[in-house]
This record gives sequence, structure tokens and C-alpha cells, in this order.
Amino acid sequence: MKVKLLLRNPQDYLRETADDIHKLARNPAPELHPMSAETEYVRALNAAKLERVFAKPFLGCFGDQGDQLSRVCMHPRALSLCLSGCVDGRVAFWNIPRRSRVLQLDAHSGCVQGLCWHPEQDLFYSCCDTDRTLKAWRVGDDLVEFSRPVSQRHLDFAPLNLDHHVSKDLFALSGDAVYLYDSRRSDPVGQWKWGSDSVLQARFNPTEWHLLAAVTKDNALLLIDTRQREPLRRIRCEFRQNALCWNPQEPFVLATASDDYNLYSWDARRLASPACVYRGHTNAAMDVDFAPTGRELVSASYDCTVRLWESGRSQSRDVYHTKRMYRVFAARYSLDARFIVTASADFNLRLWKARASEKLGALTPRERAAVNTAEALKQKYAHHPQVRRIVQHRHLPKRLYQAQLEMKAIRGKQRRKEVNRREHRGEDKEPFVPERDRHVRGVDE
Amino acid sequence: FQTTMDVAAEDSDQMPSGFHAKAAAKAARLRREAAKLASAAALESPGGIESRPGEWAPTQSKLLRRVAVAARPGHFELSLQYGPYSVAYDTTGRLLALCGRGGHVAAFEWRQKRLMFESQVNEPCHALTWVGAGSTPQLAVAHSNWTYIYDAQGLELHCLKRLHKANKLFWLPRHWLLAACTDTGHLHWQDVSTGQTVASYCGHHGPLRVSALHPDSGCVLTGQPNGQLCIWTPLEKRPVVKILCCPAGVRAVATAPAGHAVYTLGGDSRLRVWDIRCLRPLSVSDSGADAASIRLFDAAPQLAVSQRGLLACPVRQGAALMVLPAGGAKPLLSHPSPGRLSDLAFCPWEDVLAFGHARGLGSVLVPGSGEPNPDGAVHPLSGKRQRREAEVRGLLDKLPPETIAPPAVGGGVNAVDAEGIEEALARKRAAVMALPSDEVRQFQPRRRSGKASGELNRKVGERWQRRRMELRQLLKSKKRVLAEMGDEGADAAGGRKTKKAKKVSQSGELTKPATGTFLDRLIPKAD
Repeated sequence: MKVKLLLRNPQDYLRETADDIHKLARNPAPELHPMSAETEYVRALNAAKLERVFAKPFLGCFGDQGDQLSRVCMHPRALSLCLSGCVDGRVAFWNIPRRSRVLQLDAHSGCVQGLCWHPEQDLFYSCCDTDRTLKAWRVGDDLVEFSRPVSQRHLDFAPLNLDHHVSKDLFALSGDAVYLYDSRRSDPVGQWKWGSDSVLQARFNPTEWHLLAAVTKDNALLLIDTRQREPLRRIRCEFRQNALCWNPQEPFVLATASDDYNLYSWDARRLASPACVYRGHTNAAMDVDFAPTGRELVSASYDCTVRLWESGRSQSRDVYHTKRMYRVFAARYSLDARFIVTASADFNLRLWKARASEKLGALTPRERAAVNTAEALKQKYAHHPQVRRIVQHRHLPKRLYQAQLEMKAIRGKQRRKEVNRREHRGEDKEPFVPERDRHVRGVDE
Repeated sequence: FQTTMDVAAEDSDQMPSGFHAKAAAKAARLRREAAKLASAAALESPGGIESRPGEWAPTQSKLLRRVAVAARPGHFELSLQYGPYSVAYDTTGRLLALCGRGGHVAAFEWRQKRLMFESQVNEPCHALTWVGAGSTPQLAVAHSNWTYIYDAQGLELHCLKRLHKANKLFWLPRHWLLAACTDTGHLHWQDVSTGQTVASYCGHHGPLRVSALHPDSGCVLTGQPNGQLCIWTPLEKRPVVKILCCPAGVRAVATAPAGHAVYTLGGDSRLRVWDIRCLRPLSVSDSGADAASIRLFDAAPQLAVSQRGLLACPVRQGAALMVLPAGGAKPLLSHPSPGRLSDLAFCPWEDVLAFGHARGLGSVLVPGSGEPNPDGAVHPLSGKRQRREAEVRGLLDKLPPETIAPPAVGGGVNAVDAEGIEEALARKRAAVMALPSDEVRQFQPRRRSGKASGELNRKVGERWQRRRMELRQLLKSKKRVLAEMGDEGADAAGGRKTKKAKKVSQSGELTKPATGTFLDRLIPKAD
């Protein structure tokens, strides 16, 4: 008779020295893991709850600027630097991690309408519509140098915004038209206009060096090729587009912030209708910026909130608000896509996390694994009602919540009326129009 | 262990289509390969006895001569005086507790024979179970009236007055629930981590004297004197499932610590094995006579099943115990008991069986009963720190009581909400195929008065006349289509009210087990 009895050697289960980690027995057989789906679901639920527990996106205020901020501009190469322009003509230079002002200078006598950095040199440009000047400033170690511009040119028009080319020494000024300036020439190299209204903002495409997009005051979006005399296309929208931004990773995609509370993303290859309509704000969207990854957007709105979106999804991923933050006029992503800087009408710049529950600082490998697991679990169970409810819900102050309910009621009423009209008048007289096609009046070539 | 998917893969006409059959076969193949890889990487191999044909089942002394000296602590006898004893191992297999009808309650580490506590409570104690995680062991003991919880030092921590006259206590480790069946016919489910009573109700099925826990799902199974086996969950005050498993009354019910097998011992002394997932008998091979049952002569109604499927039962009216191999009828070994056997318990993760009898308790070696390779920190050799961490993780992963459901009823977190989908589809179909409402067809535009109203009224009237014609055409064409589609279509269009409208739960994750389904055929007519 052969007898084998199960006897365990404790040495196989104990760690050898105090410096080793404890041994963990593993048997993946499913009989030892009953209700694994339920356990995973509970973990997903806990992960969703913990994400909300740790969701504290507000990092701090940069300090009172004393007057309303009009522009924010991030440094193209340095993570920790940014510029802000004020309505009283001051330009301030900020250290983002310390949230402290490095320097401030009285750049203009009126509102700073444009701010942008040179892509390679330590040089930035500012323009003002009251004194109609474009000034170039050098950033150096010697702060004395800093207080006077390197160069200054007077313009024939009142500039409303400014953008520098990605690599060439060109910049685009928008005013009554889009003007292309070369830094070595005093006269504009090119000028484009469609209609009689002024151009609010013009931006260069990150990869197509001859392509520009501009938004005008008469509710239009222009696409301009600098090699041609006339703009390529004009898209007539229902409402004014306040700001625009090209997607840095998908350079045929462009996002605009509209006065009709929406953001739109456009595919430059097919401009008949927007690619995506981002709905969520309860007042005009003032600014939009893409994350350097090209996968996310941030929008600043007149309704005192900042919303974060995933590219292509029309519901916002997150909404940031504070009691003290008033109308938000500018929002910018940091270069590492982890932080957001906002400028608002309460004279403050604020720093926020792009991922509200992200832990700042170094993560140990176990922490990182735990975070990744939690993220994967939330995605796996994202459709479950309890998990979805927790992941999607955001607290809003009463006035914002009421505004949201109001928007919902308005939309509901509009849809109901449409359905009734369709039933009474017939399908052919009241055709179903998808959301995307409702916002464009026409495309002109 | 085979799962329903494996079973179904082999029986391909159970699959709805070739696509499903292929998918199931592939999944089964992957599972087999994974199991092979896992077993190749396993640290330990299971125990067992290989006997030559004609050899008798070995005695303990014979076993002790053939195994290492380190195995000796597994065989011991304790002569105690305080009445028939019940025994319970904790989930790690390190601690053994006993309680006697004479009021003796004790707990000790059986391998080192280190006594944790021992006390005389002066009340008959009927059942016990370890509660909590292994890091802070607590013992729940059912006294004659109420249930008490003692800590590792024997101090009384809680007195649970709601668990009145409990005759069986169960611990659900994944839900942190203490379940109890009582002589008064009540079932209780108590959350030990928060102290909340999850459910406490009278089952209205008489005193629940024969009960077992199905650990994989957390349901309580009770055997009734009319031969029914009832499955209870905390959320339903009625048994969720009832199957007729014996022609006579059910004398004992037992489940394996893992898996889907349920063992019932009937009044006709037959042991039957059921698959709880499909509520059908699992065939018991070896005996050619009656494949569905084994005859256990003079068996007292205590059964214990080990992790590897070995079944222990008392024979000769409690004078000896017998261990049957998994799916077999020929005993693996037997052992005489000094007193009449009152309780049997296999030690998890070890090849040891403890038995309580009228004159004390004992422990015997049973090669091949314990699962050799544990997972996690729940095993006899885990350290204190690991057990503490496992306790915290267990509390974080605590499952809600809604997850306790018998596998036969279906549902579960990843189950497709077929009802909800069908209802949504039906609604969409109804919307598309909806007939123009009467209000629309009978709408009369209001007549305007005033200057130039005659012309306006005429135009509006004409417009509506045209619209009415259109609607009439639409109605006719839709009715034609519906007639072609037949009854199905009429249902879809909502023309007939669907009688089987089932309510969908608001949470949507788990629907309550619906009565009025196929399972009703299992309820015996004379109820």
C-alpha cells in the first residue's frame, strides 16, 4: 500500500530573511475563486468611490492680479512657465509649481489682446488694440533687460489676437482681417478677409505650414491657405465662435468654443458639419484648448466653470468650479497634460489638476499597479448603473445645477415640439435632422 | 471540476448554434490548458492511498507507520465529559474549536496542541462556527437560547439575541455574514463587520433541523421532512428553489467547500449527489447498481465533504466513521469512534478529519482530503501580517447580500439583462410600428374669426384634409404590415397587452429571481 499524506514544509511558505517580501501562495484554479465576477464588481465600485474621494483638482490660486486677465500663454518648451496678459496692459511671468509671479511689466497702455511665444528663441510677443502696437520682449537672466521690449512696431489696425508660426518666423495678427507678418519685414506679407466683420482669432496649423484657421465676429469659421489670395472656406455657424484650437496630434482636427454654449470639433477635410458637438456648458464657451496628447479638451465658460472633455465624446468628463471663480475667459493645458491654468474675471489665475484624483508625486510600482487596476476595473464595469452613477456624478452649486436643469427642460421642450410637428405635418415636411447638422448655416468656398 | 460550460461543450446539442458550440469548446480547451499550467507550477501534490486489489482500508496505526513523523499531530483523541461535541475548523485550518451539549467550549491550535481558551458556559451548546478573518479569530457558539460570540481568549464579545434557538451556524467569508438556521423555523443573516441584521425571517417550513451552506454562492440549503431540498437567500422570505430530492424525508445535507455538488441523505438511507447549478443528479460512478445513489446502511445524519470531494459519514449508528472517495462507493478508510458520533469536519488545506462524539472528540488522518495548493493568505502557514492584510482586503471586497443567489436561478453581475433588452426592443418596435393616434387623426383645427378669416379657414381646412388622407393611408399600410407579421407583430406593436410583463429592477444589476418561471415545475404538487 502506498500512502502519501499532504505535509507542507513551512520553509516553502516563509520568507528567508527579514529583507525579503512575504511569500504569497497562488492557485489560479477557479474552484478557489468563486464569485470572482462579483468581487471584481465590488472592487470596481470601490475604485469609483475612491476616485471621487480623492478628486481634489484645485491646487491653488496664483495670486490676485489686480485687474481682469485677458490672455494666458504657456511656454512652448518649459513646463513651469507661463505668461498672463491683463486688461490694464500688464504682462506677468509666472512660475507654475510655486504659483508665484517671477516678473511683471507694464507692456501696454490698454488691454493685452495677444500673447505668444517664439517657438525656439526666448522671445515673446504681445499686442494691444488701444495703442495698436506689437511688441517683442526678450527673456533673459538680466531682469533689467526685461523691462523694455526688444522691438516694437505700430500697426494700422487694432489687433485682437496673435499667433506665432510653429517653426518659421511668421506670425498672424487678427484684427479687421487676418494679417501675416514676417519678423524681418515691417509690412504684412499677406492679408485675408471674408466679409466686413473683424477676425477674433487666427491660429496656425501645427503641421500644415501654410494653413491657418480663423474665427470671425460674424459667426464664421475661416480656413486660409497662405499661398492663396482668398480664404479657402468659410463655415457660417449659427452663433459666434469665441476661440479656436488645432489638435496638436491630429492636425486636421480643430475645436472651437461657441456662444451657443457648445464646443465644436471640426474635421478640416469635411467642414459641412462639425465632427462632434460638446454639450454641457450653461453659458457661452469662451476658450478651448487641446491637451498636448490631442485626446482631451478643456473649455472655459462664461458660466464660471471649466469643463474637461474627451475628444469625440459629447459629454464632459469633469467640471471644475469654485465659489470664488467668476467668468472664466481662458483655460490652457500644461505641456505635460497634467495641469490646467485658468484665467477668470475675478482677477485670478488658478491651477488645477487635469485628472482630479491623480496623486501628484512619485508613485511606487505597487501604487501605479493599483491605480492602473482601478482604472481597468472602472472601464470594465463602466456600463453598470451603480458604477456609472458614481463615475459620472459631479456636484454642482445650486445656481449651476438649476441652469443645467433649465437647459435640459429647454432641450426637452424643443425635442417634444419637433416630434409633435413631425407627427402632425409628416416626415417629409419635418425631417429628422441629426444633432451635428443643426449648427451650420452653410459652407462657402 | 467541470463547469456547466464544459458539460455543455461535450453535449453540443445543448448549444443554440455552431458558433456557440465552437466558442464553448474553445473556452473549455483554454480552461483545461490553464489548469494544466497551474498544476505544473503547483508547489504541492495531493495526498492519496494506492492500495492493491483485495487490500483492506487502512487503519490509523497503519497510516501512521507509513507517513512522516510530522503528520502525527493530525491523529489524536480527547476524552471529554461534557456531552456530544460539535467541532469546527476555521478557514485557515489552523484552529479547531469544540462545543459540547454539557456547556464545554474550547478552542486550540490542533497542530501544536496550544490551547487558546476553554470555558464552561453552563448551557447546552449546539453548534459553532469561526467568524471573521483568521487574523482576529472569533467564535460564534449557539447556546440553547441565544448565540454568543467569543474572542480568541474566550471572552464573550457579543450576545446575539436575534439568533434564538439556532441549531446550525454558517460563516460566509466573502459576504462577512453569519447565517443561522433555528429550531423555530427562522433564518438569520447577520453582518459581522457592521453588526447589521441583513435578514431575519420565519421560513414557514417547519423547524430547520437539516441544513448546510453552499459556500460558492452563499445560499443556505435545508432539507425538509417531505423530501424537499429548499434553497434560501437573505433577500427572499420564501425558498428560492425547491427540489424534491428524496422519496422520504431528508436526513442530512452537505456541500463541498468548493464546487457545485450537494449531497443529500434521505430517509431511505440513500445518498444522492445533486448538481446545484442545474438541479439534476450528478451520477455517482463505481456502483453499478444504482448510478444515482449510494446506499448507506445505518448512517447517522452527519455528513462532511472535504475540499477534494471525499465524503465522511458515520456508520453503524454512529459507532464508526467512514470516508468515501469522490464519486465512489468503496470506503477509503474507516475509524471506530469511542462514543456515538455527533459531528464531522474536514480540516481545510490538510489531510485531517475531526470528529466529535458523545465522549469527546478525535482527529484522524485522511490522505487526499485536503487541497494541496492554497491561494492567498488563507492557509495554515500564513503569517500574522499576511492574515491581517488579507482581513483588510476581505473587508474592502465584502460582497453585498444581493449577490447571494443560487446558480440555477441565474443572474449575477455579468449576466446579460435579456429581459431589459427585449423590453427595450419591443418598445422601439412599438414606436416604429405605432399606429397614428386617434387624437391626431381626429384633430380639428380651430376656426379663426375676423378679417380674412374665411380664406385662412379654408386653407387650413384643406391642409388638414390632405393630412388626414395621408394618415389614413399610413394606417392602412401599417395594419397590412402588422397583419402579415402576425401575432408576433401585434405584440410588438403593443396592439395586445403583453401578459408576461416582468418588472425590471431599478438598479439593473441583479434582478430578483422571478417566480412563475420554469423552476416552478420542480415544486412538488402536494405542497
